[in-house]
Amino acid sequence: MKHLTKNLISFAIFFVIGGLIFRYGLSHFLENRMLSMVWVLATIYFLYNFGIGWYFGKRDSESLPLFDIGFRFHFTTFLLFNIISEVWHYFGLLSVYENYQTNRLIAIYWGIGLLIHFVFYVIAQKNTIKGISKDDMFD
Amino acid sequence: MGNKELLNELLIAWEETYKKGQLTFWIFLSLKEGKKYVDEIKTFVEEESNHSMTCESQSLYRNLRKFQHVGVVDFETGEGNKGPERKYYFLTELGNALLNAFIERNIKLFYNEKIKHLLNKED
Repeated sequence: MKHLTKNLISFAIFFVIGGLIFRYGLSHFLENRMLSMVWVLATIYFLYNFGIGWYFGKRDSESLPLFDIGFRFHFTTFLLFNIISEVWHYFGLLSVYENYQTNRLIAIYWGIGLLIHFVFYVIAQKNTIKGISKDDMFD
Repeated sequence: MGNKELLNELLIAWEETYKKGQLTFWIFLSLKEGKKYVDEIKTFVEEESNHSMTCESQSLYRNLRKFQHVGVVDFETGEGNKGPERKYYFLTELGNALLNAFIERNIKLFYNEKIKHLLNKED
């Protein structure tokens, strides 16, 4: 099954760019105790990710309707977000006010959510042929 | 509502349901004839179905991508007519087997003498 589509790769590139900007902004604002800006940044980051997810997800589905109930995009988001967080920590770029353990907890709780999503994904795959829903195959 | 109007309305409703899924059959049939690019498939489908089937190129591309993904259709690129290279689609071995099995189970029924007689019978 083709998991890594052109639109998913484009989404991942945009997500990494947005993630790096967010990480930089977050550490910068926290370092300078600009807490209201952290909220603004987080809101923009949410809207940005929602936007690129919507745009590339829709294009992906129009191009090839893989019935994955959004799992591939969710998994990519999880993976890249946590890699960026780890890289940020590894290079010592976290603000002194950032608690590294929070990153770990986010990864654990989010990972549990992702695991539940994966179970539903596996169940959904039973009604597909090579990832395409049997209902959509000859519509 | 007069009988003629009712007949027309029922016929349209029936045809709308009947045509769902028919596009696949017409696409496969066009490729059984030989390799084709999208515009040729579109022309074949519309002309050979006496324009009872219509299809948009986008819809054809979407279907062909699905069929290619599952391995019943593939393409090779060839020269376009003074333009960019075209994708010439064809049925794979699996695609041919699928179409033949479908015809055997669903189309050849209509070759049965009794059914042919009923189809030609006028009340």
